[in-house]
Amino acid sequence: MIEEPYRWVEAIANRREYVETQLASGSPIAAVGYRDGILFLTLGQARQKIFEIYDRIAMGAIGHPGDIERLRMGAIELASTEGFTRSAGDVSLRRLAHYSLSPVMKSAFEQVYGPPYLARLLFAEVGAQPEEDSFLRVEYDGAIATNGATFAQVRQDFAVLSGTRQSTELMESFLKSEHAPGATFEAALKAALDAWSIGHMALQKDDAKELPERTAIAKHRQEQLATTGIEAAILERDASAAIRYRALSDKEARALIGD
Amino acid sequence: MEPSLVTLDQIFSGASEDFPELLRRKGLLSPAAIVDPTVRATGSHQQSWTPTEATTILAFKFSGGVLVAGDRRATAGNTVVYDRADKVLEIDRHSIMAIAGVPATAWEMARVLEHSFQYFRRTQLQEMSVDGKVRALSKLLRDNFGFVMQGVGMVVPIFATYDSNSNPEARLYFYDAMGAQFEAADYAATGSGSPAVRGILYYENHWGEKSLKQLGEDEAVAIALRALDTAAESDTATGGVDRTGEIFPIIKTVSRDGIMTLPEEKIAAVFKKSVA
Repeated sequence: MIEEPYRWVEAIANRREYVETQLASGSPIAAVGYRDGILFLTLGQARQKIFEIYDRIAMGAIGHPGDIERLRMGAIELASTEGFTRSAGDVSLRRLAHYSLSPVMKSAFEQVYGPPYLARLLFAEVGAQPEEDSFLRVEYDGAIATNGATFAQVRQDFAVLSGTRQSTELMESFLKSEHAPGATFEAALKAALDAWSIGHMALQKDDAKELPERTAIAKHRQEQLATTGIEAAILERDASAAIRYRALSDKEARALIGD
Repeated sequence: MEPSLVTLDQIFSGASEDFPELLRRKGLLSPAAIVDPTVRATGSHQQSWTPTEATTILAFKFSGGVLVAGDRRATAGNTVVYDRADKVLEIDRHSIMAIAGVPATAWEMARVLEHSFQYFRRTQLQEMSVDGKVRALSKLLRDNFGFVMQGVGMVVPIFATYDSNSNPEARLYFYDAMGAQFEAADYAATGSGSPAVRGILYYENHWGEKSLKQLGEDEAVAIALRALDTAAESDTATGGVDRTGEIFPIIKTVSRDGIMTLPEEKIAAVFKKSVA
């Protein structure tokens, strides 16, 4: 039945709906660049969602744990073998995503007899300067969104990941207006927390079109911080150590927020 | 379909694939050499694989952790090819591998090891245990032994690390070319100049003013320099201290805080005061 083109399109559409539903409850993740690095942040402690991929690359993911794990392993494998045969400087997030992950995820998604990857991935690679930071989101169908400038948008120094398109867009529009390039760590942490809160609020409402009031954001943030843990990691810009990834414990993150 | 770069086809046997296996699967590392007993039947081969690693490496525990020192000379037969070789290599923030033997093989091993530890931490989301690290090097040596039998690529390393788990302490290991690992209680030495060094360290440890473990950093550096200088006195393959060229041995320490490479000025100062 799939041989007929129309059936194939229909099957893909069904599959897209299915995957979107599966991913819809994923807790948002915000990656925000600041003067001395890049911060990844999310709330919730059910399972780890932020990972180290290579010296300068980190990944955040929502979706099925089995699929996330396979993609994570694949990414680490590729980066590690590239870094081993050439050098750490030759490992590039752009190539990792465009050349390796995206085609694999696309073909898994479109081969309707096999299972798709139920995962949405957020990557960041820290550069020597904030302008060289690279952010990437890879969708379950292999589509890639980057932080680079296009006709429609200026270059951004952040990227977000969430369960629904609505939630993602609200987080982005918040960061676009509130987050300044070259911000301090404290400002970045606050922006990331607020962005998470906005994304999380949007997941709980069906028709969240507008950014919520500041007081509502602060209230939601307080409520969530009281009950859930913070998961955070940073990629440090400081080039004195090769490995830039550092996970922040819940306690460390709270101390920095002043909560 | 064209085979994709991401294989994503791990067979879940419960055990994780180690990094050298991954490299071999991708054809990026030469396969483990098969030990063929017939190869070393001739006299020349037999001679070539007797332990003649031309260098001197030493390590001992002192009050601040472990000190690892190595001379700078690299030789090919009886020719000195390089006088600034670095044979004391950092593998991760708390581990040092110091090498005696064929540089090409040794540096490749160090590189594989370095990536193995990081690959493990990233994939398994935890640091590899000290026992795991010590074993990883042992396995690389065993995989290499077939080449050693053929007369190429003999490596006899020392491995120093800091175990921050249940019982925090500096740990020191030495190996033979087949991959047997031995934990050293106080000190270890390897390379062609090591017999002299072993004598000095034994003497100092038993009859010196203080045992090695009680030495402060400057005292420890002085002993290391004297030992290397002594080794160079009778062993042509050991550089010792180049007094005219002012080339000093590489000395690093491992402690709870990580690895520290002693600056050349400091080594020079200790040398002037206690050795020269």
